[in-house]
Amino acid sequence: MFIGISGYNHESAVALINNEGILIDYCKEESLSRIKGDKSFPKRALSKIIKKNHIKKDLISHIVFYEKPLTAFLTPLKTASSYLPKSLSFISHQLRNFDNSSISCFTDLAKFAPGLEKKLSYIDHHLAHTLTALPYSRKQKDLCSIVVDGFGDRSTASISYIKDMHDIKELWSSDYPHSLGLFYSSITDFLGFNVNEGEYKVMGLSSFGNSNSKLAKIVFNLIKWDDVKNNIVVNLDYFSYHISISDSFSKELIKLLGEPRNPFKKLQPGDKDFQKFADIARGAQDITNVILSKIFSYAYRITNSNSFLFSGGVALNSAALNTLADLNFTKDIILPPSPGDSGAAIGSALYGFIKSYPTNLSIKKPSLFPTAFSIDDEKDKVKKIINESFSIISENKFESLKLCSELIHKGKVIGTVISNSETGPRALGNRSLICDGMNLKSVNYLNTVIKNRSPFRPTAPAMKRITAEKYYEIKSELYQSYFSMTATCKCRDPKANNFPTTHIDGTARIQIVEDESILGQLLDILHPSGVDILANSSLNLSGDPTCFDLIDGLMFCSISPLEYLLTDLGLIKKLA
Amino acid sequence: MREEKIIEILHETLHAEHGSALEMLATSKNATKSSHVNGYFHHAKDEYNHSKTFQSLLAKRANRLPPDIARSYRFSSIGLLKKGYVSKKGFLIETMKLKDFIAYVYTNELLAKDSFSKILKLLEINSGDYIKVSDIMTDELRHHGMAKEYFLRYYPTLQPWQLKCYKLREIIKNKTRIIYYKNIKFLDKVFNPIYIFLSFFAALLLNHLNVKYFHRTNANLMNISSRSMF
Repeated sequence: MFIGISGYNHESAVALINNEGILIDYCKEESLSRIKGDKSFPKRALSKIIKKNHIKKDLISHIVFYEKPLTAFLTPLKTASSYLPKSLSFISHQLRNFDNSSISCFTDLAKFAPGLEKKLSYIDHHLAHTLTALPYSRKQKDLCSIVVDGFGDRSTASISYIKDMHDIKELWSSDYPHSLGLFYSSITDFLGFNVNEGEYKVMGLSSFGNSNSKLAKIVFNLIKWDDVKNNIVVNLDYFSYHISISDSFSKELIKLLGEPRNPFKKLQPGDKDFQKFADIARGAQDITNVILSKIFSYAYRITNSNSFLFSGGVALNSAALNTLADLNFTKDIILPPSPGDSGAAIGSALYGFIKSYPTNLSIKKPSLFPTAFSIDDEKDKVKKIINESFSIISENKFESLKLCSELIHKGKVIGTVISNSETGPRALGNRSLICDGMNLKSVNYLNTVIKNRSPFRPTAPAMKRITAEKYYEIKSELYQSYFSMTATCKCRDPKANNFPTTHIDGTARIQIVEDESILGQLLDILHPSGVDILANSSLNLSGDPTCFDLIDGLMFCSISPLEYLLTDLGLIKKLA
Repeated sequence: MREEKIIEILHETLHAEHGSALEMLATSKNATKSSHVNGYFHHAKDEYNHSKTFQSLLAKRANRLPPDIARSYRFSSIGLLKKGYVSKKGFLIETMKLKDFIAYVYTNELLAKDSFSKILKLLEINSGDYIKVSDIMTDELRHHGMAKEYFLRYYPTLQPWQLKCYKLREIIKNKTRIIYYKNIKFLDKVFNPIYIFLSFFAALLLNHLNVKYFHRTNANLMNISSRSMF
């Protein structure tokens, strides 16, 4: 057995790979702590995985951590030391918080799982990302891996050539602090959204902006690709993420763009300042598309490969993928469902497996729902909650699905807590809020009333392949991404432009569902009534992690206007 | 000045209430008896609702602040760990004995009610915000009553004076925590110039660090030693 661990910088997670290279369990710490973006050592996730899978410690061959801790600790310090005296507080803070950095992984492991620390090893951060993406590709040799994130032990972006899984050669990297990810996060911060959480909002907001506006052009020029040196260059006069703990952008940026957004002010189309902030977001999105295109073009030039693995936090920018797929040399772009740091726990565990089986040349594709969850663990515990505050409408699985379909057809929103949960940040049906994707009233209710989200953020549509091909421009280069909702696509049929799940720019982040999945089964029942598209959003309130177990689901139902929950116990209704 | 003080209190209380919601949810999940799971579930639900109320009270006031100040009052649940409202060691139920945990809830609900009455003094009487906070106080008293009942049912030999001791212990702990944080802040101010001075020398040394060693261009990443932290 092989365990991979990620943590300390972004959401922490643990992955378990068996001796056949199959991902058998994966768990994010935030799912158990209920703290969104929990980056502390994943003690609960590790304990849950060990207990749930009845693993004895001597069966664990390797525990692999997703970065080189000392490199990750020293690189920002070295950079900050060139900006004295402005960076003194930053350096002082980093040195004093030495024990909160990933260097503590060894001692934390010794504390929470004594004995396992002796099996701990560390791998290059971007290698962990590459290995996370690799099993999702059918082709597992002679391809190119592109990793773009905020910062990963020493670089902020890299290109590697995968001859086979034992020979992964790095060919190019972009040095910290010149980072596309940190640039995007700083703009997120400027726009009043939480860093590492609000980047999706910037992406959604950018569609309302005008690329030709003055502000969009200014933001566009804050970062560039140097065609001579083939590197990312950030104009650091306007940013301070490399020298400050609290501020990601400098006063110069405020002079340039005006006051940043007050995070407590509602941002709604038509409001004062909405266009200003949308234009800023547009500029950030435009330059992100350009720089990613440049990185892909350069990667093609140096590797001659037209199949790409794409991972790292920036790969979550689904709006950029269409531009990349349109590059004339691109054949395939493969993204893992969780391309960010939490997913890198999977790549780390795989490293242990690959190293232990040197003759093995392929890894099986992991399930989209690898996080083990069994209702048997909770069935008896939740009895009283259900008896007191809910009623089980039906315990029969097929009847529950039928009743759900009727409710969806009538315009109701249904929550789901079914079986194993998803790896990535996108809900794919097992921890979702769903409704009729063609019913404007239902989609608006789901988005703005149940989830309390800003109306400028779109809700994703889920559908069968045949429906997707009818309404949307499906790109073969991104085909795999549509199953994990990691790419957007343009509407093909003009009718689709009017669907409530279509964003203002005529795109949608579609999900193609498998026939046997819960959404697939629901769509089969709904098809005769004309509902071929479901709106699908994650089962969580704004700022909370996605629900993990049934108690979380029941809690969501209790504190939100949601009435129905489809679970492994059947269809449950909240009592008035 | 008064407005900013209110905002600061609302911000801290929001953290405290959200932290309590997570504590109670974790306790509900840890409980084995269905009735206990249900009791803590409803307690958590109340705390979530309180947290929502404080979030809206905070938003209403903070949206009038200049953006640079307002930014510092943003709420994200990760702040619970940073501010210590949820311990990095784990939830209370994961680190305390059950008896101590119940005593903790019993006394802290009463103390929470006291701190809400202080918040009420800052708000305009009979305003919407005042009524919302009063409702929360009623909830806190109910939780206190429930915890007391629960405590006495499971530990019937406990005498009222022992409960008073628990309360006194919590009051002392809370006061000590405040003194500790105030001292930390004070000591931080005293020692900061020393830290900065030492950091300056560390920075001079760091300037000589050759990060070329970290570069891996043309290296097979699979062959880099996995035992090394570099």
